[in-house]
Amino acid sequence: MMRLTGYADKFSVHPGDKIKFYVNCDGPAKYKAEIVKMINGDTNPRGPGFIEKPISVSVNGEYTGRKQVIHSGSYGYVADNPSLRVKSFTIQVWVWPTTPKTHPKYWKHGAQGLVTKWSPAEGGYGLFINEEGKPELRINGTKITGSAPLRDHAWHFLAATYDAATGEAILYHEPQITYALDPEVPPVVAKVPSPPSTSGIPLVIAGYTGSSNGGVLANSSVPKGMVIAGHYNGKIDSPRLCDRALSRLDIETMKLGCQTGMDERRGSGPTPRLSECVVGAWDFSVGINTIVGTDKGPYLNNAAIVNCPTRAMTGYNWSGHNFDWKHAPAEYGAIHFHDDDIDDARWDADFQWEVPADLKSACYAAKLTTADGDEDYIPFFVVPKVGQETAKIAVMMPTISYMAYANEHLANNAGGAELLVYRVPIMQHQNMFLSEHREYGGSIYDTHTDGSGLCLSSRLRPILSIRPKYDHFLMQAPWQYPADLHLIYWLEVNGYNYDVITDEDTNYDGVARLKGYNVVITGSHPEHNSGPQLDALHNYTQQGGRLMYMGADGWYWVHSYHPAYDHLGRGIVTEMRRCESGIRTWRADPGEYYHQSTGELGGMWRYRGRYLHTVAGTGMSSEGFDISSYYTRTPESNDPRVAWAFDGIGQDEMLGNFGLVGGGAAGTELDIVDTMLGSPPHTLVVATSAGHHTEGYLLVMEDFGFNQQGLDGTQHPRVRSDIAYHETPNGGGCFAFSSIAFCGSLPWNNGDPAKNNISRLVKNVLDRFMKDGPLPPPPKDAYIHRGRAEYDPAGNKVSTARGI
Amino acid sequence: MISIPKKGTPEYDRLVKEHEECIRSMKGVAGCSILKCATPGDTTVVTGGIHEDFLLNRVLLRMRALPAKGKLVVICTKVEKEWRIGRLAGIRGVPPEFVDSRVFTDEQEVQHAIFLMRLDEMAAHDGMPEHFHEGWKRRDDNWTAT
Repeated sequence: MMRLTGYADKFSVHPGDKIKFYVNCDGPAKYKAEIVKMINGDTNPRGPGFIEKPISVSVNGEYTGRKQVIHSGSYGYVADNPSLRVKSFTIQVWVWPTTPKTHPKYWKHGAQGLVTKWSPAEGGYGLFINEEGKPELRINGTKITGSAPLRDHAWHFLAATYDAATGEAILYHEPQITYALDPEVPPVVAKVPSPPSTSGIPLVIAGYTGSSNGGVLANSSVPKGMVIAGHYNGKIDSPRLCDRALSRLDIETMKLGCQTGMDERRGSGPTPRLSECVVGAWDFSVGINTIVGTDKGPYLNNAAIVNCPTRAMTGYNWSGHNFDWKHAPAEYGAIHFHDDDIDDARWDADFQWEVPADLKSACYAAKLTTADGDEDYIPFFVVPKVGQETAKIAVMMPTISYMAYANEHLANNAGGAELLVYRVPIMQHQNMFLSEHREYGGSIYDTHTDGSGLCLSSRLRPILSIRPKYDHFLMQAPWQYPADLHLIYWLEVNGYNYDVITDEDTNYDGVARLKGYNVVITGSHPEHNSGPQLDALHNYTQQGGRLMYMGADGWYWVHSYHPAYDHLGRGIVTEMRRCESGIRTWRADPGEYYHQSTGELGGMWRYRGRYLHTVAGTGMSSEGFDISSYYTRTPESNDPRVAWAFDGIGQDEMLGNFGLVGGGAAGTELDIVDTMLGSPPHTLVVATSAGHHTEGYLLVMEDFGFNQQGLDGTQHPRVRSDIAYHETPNGGGCFAFSSIAFCGSLPWNNGDPAKNNISRLVKNVLDRFMKDGPLPPPPKDAYIHRGRAEYDPAGNKVSTARGI
Repeated sequence: MISIPKKGTPEYDRLVKEHEECIRSMKGVAGCSILKCATPGDTTVVTGGIHEDFLLNRVLLRMRALPAKGKLVVICTKVEKEWRIGRLAGIRGVPPEFVDSRVFTDEQEVQHAIFLMRLDEMAAHDGMPEHFHEGWKRRDDNWTAT
């Protein structure tokens, strides 16, 4: 088990700026920290092996170890104040529970808090779901339990009243949907000996106060020192708290909630009389892109929302007529809370480093070790300030994609993952740790512990998938970060001077981030992208920039950074919704396609009219994860527009029939040219892997309308990868290598272009693309009108017409 | 449904032999398929296996489609050196447990060991609806397709 884990406050740090590191050292008294430059993260014995270079810096040294824990699970809370210290009360709320009853071994088995000002030690009041899945009112140590369990994935209206004068408590449970054979659910009436005791604990929505004196490990909890327990899984809509026991009719009226600015006519409440007793009337449709649960009642008991639950969720009153929350906010008053939500580990910093002003831009990591053999790496990137570029080449590390895959659990969770990868998944020690430590949160590929889709990912937590020496179950090989180090190794060993930038930098700085470079090189799998980033790339290539797209399945999903975390830095939390099509490990529910962070439509860029193929010339068409294959050159590779890329490569050579990802350059996820989907009509396919793939490779679902046989790599013509080139205006150009496994071939034979034709090809392209000034113009006869549908990649009619 | 061949039948022997030859030919490849490399460890030319033995192909699909609860999985215990066989709990927060004390020193061999275990463990008619008793639930990614 991993006893050392950590994270930094930044992915990218400028020379001269500071970066903080947060470390959990669970057991060993001390650990050693060293800054290393990352060269190769792949331990495969067929490759150059793991390579790091120690950097002698002041921060290197031994540190005192301490345990730090993550308090995951989302909730809202209002700090104690006199208005919340009620004697008599009415709590009412709509709930849509996803796990009203959990398996006894479930990681957070037990009662779930809905609206509570209650703790085991302090008592108080609260509405719960008990461990049998039934609604429960708690007043100090007394529990009043409803007669029926809550149906999962269904709306229920719950209300509880307590009259301190009479001691009478009533618990209402009114399912929104009843089926023919559902028994009646009458209200439960009981006597409670004494009113709720008062204490300093907060009012919690979707949890309860487990301990108000949580000790040192509660430093990372919110509010600090108090540990929230009983995290609720499911939606909560329109919670209300009143300071007296309301009649059932008044409860019904109180459903209307409060409306500010109406005092003269009816007070803040739904009626003048009820407005006198409102303590809180929360409306989660207000401020959907914030982490505040707005109280429209007179006390402004706004709830701080912790750990970023999912908002912009359809409420109990969703009509099915509006699908965008911005157009019908009143129907989006629900928040879906999850017991494994995490927005920030909130650990105390262990050390801070001021990056030397003259430190070269590159991939670095804080390497943590103990004398007992524990080890972890915290990767980060030193990125020049805009205008202070130190190279002609920029490598754009796909950090949004790293976040999307962060702490991915598929090998453990998804039985079906084995059908996808065509072998028994191999779990690394990072996967084993995460399978037990769900509090580290999942990836956007996972479902939450309650089975609902996970659409938000934070970088302020240890992300054990962004690690060197980590093989991913998809390929039994590096994936994302460690796979991108294959490219870094190749640049290093071939003596290129390069800068490293990230998705994050490109998103926030726009084309200014890219303009200082002659060529921008992507990572192996830049799948997840924000709109501003795509804008920047487009502007760059249109203004003469050169783009080398080193992978596949890029530019696929719509992402947005959550603005509520801007105060903590750039790109803290990213959001992505899996909507109507695409490769989806979960699928968003109807009406829940629009991002809570920006209000934009989520899903595939393709379905926003921004085709993947437009960015670098090729787009995703198939995937398979058993083994990789190779490319053969096309006749068009001899076109003078592109023949320079094949200097030193024979016409009949098998390109990349070797590699560290699946054993070949063409593998895992594959892109093709399709002028009907946005590839520019002058795109040249220079090499293809057509005909070389296994049955494990399947056409992507967005490329077909219904299921039928004949979609696999042994049969379907679109299951292939096309290496393609096209010119962009002002002397720019794009080279798309169109396979995630491609970079895995670069380190073969130590990346020597004389002994590795993939290395030769990439070197030819990079040497031309990195030169100052516009690319040499294509021959004059290449300027002709071209349609989209008439394009024929196999024969490339245009080239044929020109007699090539 | 195609049935899972049982020990002592010619189909069983054929499948075991073919699987073993295929996976052994994949030694050295980062990744694998149940296909035979013409040159061991080189995926340039692959034949046989799932592309040519229909029963092997279907039996493997059935095995891969098993639900996560109790499903066998490989656990790497020393990077690039040691692998063991575990079983998934199918419950969130409960890690897989080792099924035995065997330690494999090759990541492909362990694939074959699991194939043999599954042939033993699965009923001939395994994969019928009664084995997918949680299958009507949507959103359960312990189901074979999510």
